[in-house]
Amino acid sequence: MIENVKQNYLTHPKGIMSWLLTLDHKRIGLMYLVSGILFFFMGGLLALGMRLELAAPGNDFISSEQYNNIYTLHGAIMIFLFIIPAIPGALGNILLPLMVGAKDVAFPRLNLASFYIYSFGALFALYTIVNGGVDTGWTFYTPYSTQSSSNVVPMTLGIFIIGFSSILTGLNFIATVHKMRIPGLTWYKLPLFVWALYGTSLVQITATPVLAITMVLLMLERFLGIGIFDPALGGDPVLYQHFFWFYSHPAVYIMILPAFGIISEIIPVHSRKKIWGYKFIAYSTLSIAFIGFLVWGHHMFTSGQSVFSQIVFSFITYFVGIPTGVKIFSWILTMYKGQVSFTPPMIYALSFLFLFTIGGLTGIFLGAVALDIHLHDTYFVVAHFHYVMQGGTIVAFLGGLHHWWPKSFGTMYNQTIANICAFGVFLGFNGTFFPQFLLGLRGMPRRYATYSEQFVELHSYSTFWSGILGFSIFFAIVNLFWSFMKRNKVDPGSNPWGGMSLEWTHTSSPPHPHNFETDPVFEHGPYDYDKVIVEKTYKK
Amino acid sequence: MSDHHITPLRTYLVIASCLFFLSGVTVWVSYIDLGSFNIVLAMFVATVKASLVAFFFMHLLWDDKKNLVLFLMSLMFFGIFVVITMIDTEFRGALGFNPETKEPITKRAPFYAQLPLTDTHGYPVDSHDDIHHGDDDHH
Repeated sequence: MIENVKQNYLTHPKGIMSWLLTLDHKRIGLMYLVSGILFFFMGGLLALGMRLELAAPGNDFISSEQYNNIYTLHGAIMIFLFIIPAIPGALGNILLPLMVGAKDVAFPRLNLASFYIYSFGALFALYTIVNGGVDTGWTFYTPYSTQSSSNVVPMTLGIFIIGFSSILTGLNFIATVHKMRIPGLTWYKLPLFVWALYGTSLVQITATPVLAITMVLLMLERFLGIGIFDPALGGDPVLYQHFFWFYSHPAVYIMILPAFGIISEIIPVHSRKKIWGYKFIAYSTLSIAFIGFLVWGHHMFTSGQSVFSQIVFSFITYFVGIPTGVKIFSWILTMYKGQVSFTPPMIYALSFLFLFTIGGLTGIFLGAVALDIHLHDTYFVVAHFHYVMQGGTIVAFLGGLHHWWPKSFGTMYNQTIANICAFGVFLGFNGTFFPQFLLGLRGMPRRYATYSEQFVELHSYSTFWSGILGFSIFFAIVNLFWSFMKRNKVDPGSNPWGGMSLEWTHTSSPPHPHNFETDPVFEHGPYDYDKVIVEKTYKK
Repeated sequence: MSDHHITPLRTYLVIASCLFFLSGVTVWVSYIDLGSFNIVLAMFVATVKASLVAFFFMHLLWDDKKNLVLFLMSLMFFGIFVVITMIDTEFRGALGFNPETKEPITKRAPFYAQLPLTDTHGYPVDSHDDIHHGDDDHH
């Protein structure tokens, strides 16, 4: 099929400088993807290190100080260097212009700049690791973070810098969605992944500056002794948590909204059925983005904030459940009477439905003040946010990667291995984190390097399954990259899942350097399976 | 985008003098003691000044109204943050569930006065008045 292979963005233009100075959104997306996955592995190894230490009580492998460093780095790397940049930066960059029919994002140079800003910030994080780590927890709570002698300064500086990358990507995507759509592609004809990225971008540009301000205030107190958070200097330590969570709670939605978008793409395509409740899903994205700004205090129920605030925050927190429930039910109804095929992306999407529902519902438990006071800072919280962040976002990310892999890179992975790995991720994940709910209910506090005898059994289950989880994710990603190395090419015209949005119907796989060889003409909506027949075409 | 608004120099000068005047107002009101209302007034004047800059110097007034919506959104989010955070500090301890606001428990068992005089660590002390000992430890 060599004669069919025309120019594609991976091979044209050539040379290292054409990559380093590229303005092509697909190449920038690929660079984000590779760096994101490297940090994912780094964070994952730290997690396995923690699980190994917790396999048995006592300090068997590492000291308590090292344990403090490891969990802090695990959290900071996974959140700031992998999850937040990975889906918008990698999948969003590659797909958003293709989905709206544009030649590139609105500001290609800004896009490259945001990648370099991310890399520059990541260097600070790497310096922190080499220089002995940081031990405050990824939240950098005062007063400890203003006193700790570990590398609080380089790590927070790195996060400060990476925040700007996040803002610029968000700005770019908003301008792209507003200005670069082809004629006929109206708001309600956009793929839902675009809506999700749009909602994410709004949160990124409105919330991230507050993170930067928080980090600056922390530094002002640390170096200049200006009393902001220290009561001895006239400050308020709870104020730090207000600042931090005003960003970091919306950041949860920066992490999960793109995952919702991916699921909204995978389920209709692999069920070959029109999405159920398009407008509901689209508006629920925006309402989650907005409500996400009003609930930050539910992280602070035991921090000494006023009881009145606790009641208000607890009440508003329940509202997040409504748009989220709308999405879950819409996805389930999309599958109803569809032609569901159990391809690897679909298995990840189905895993997502199970895992995210557990994660979301336990979030409602934790949103209730009375219960949270009992469960705060226990393994119940650890299990809850891993069900949301890993069971939700990372499983959706893996699903999206498998879904768009043949499109983005023109190669098809071994689907049997991918299916086995997807099951491995589902089983390994539940095996690792479900026991942690029970541990938390029995009072096991988070962030401890050791524990008493009664927790041995559940902790050892958790450690055993974390190994399965680690192997599954590792082999799933190796399987993807292996197809790339082996050049297991698909025909450039193929549409292996029968997708209907522009990236499937109007571009080659991998796409042309300028995305579309001729200006794309809008013919049908992204989910019009009831009107148009799109064949699954997959040839080697 | 094609028809850029040309602002006459006169408008710029008027706005600039407004800004100088409002700076004067900020300094002037800082000498008047309005209690906690001082900060509200200072922030209000600052917001008016920032809005003048955005509307006239940065041409927001003549620009696409979507940009105005974004500007107002940023004010709204800032408002949400400040107002809800202030609600916390204003009401802290207000409902009386806060441990600091409760009276310390002073009930004693009947045999308390006959016990040997020790503090919580078992060291002998002069009187049973250990509530004040607790306070002394903090100092």
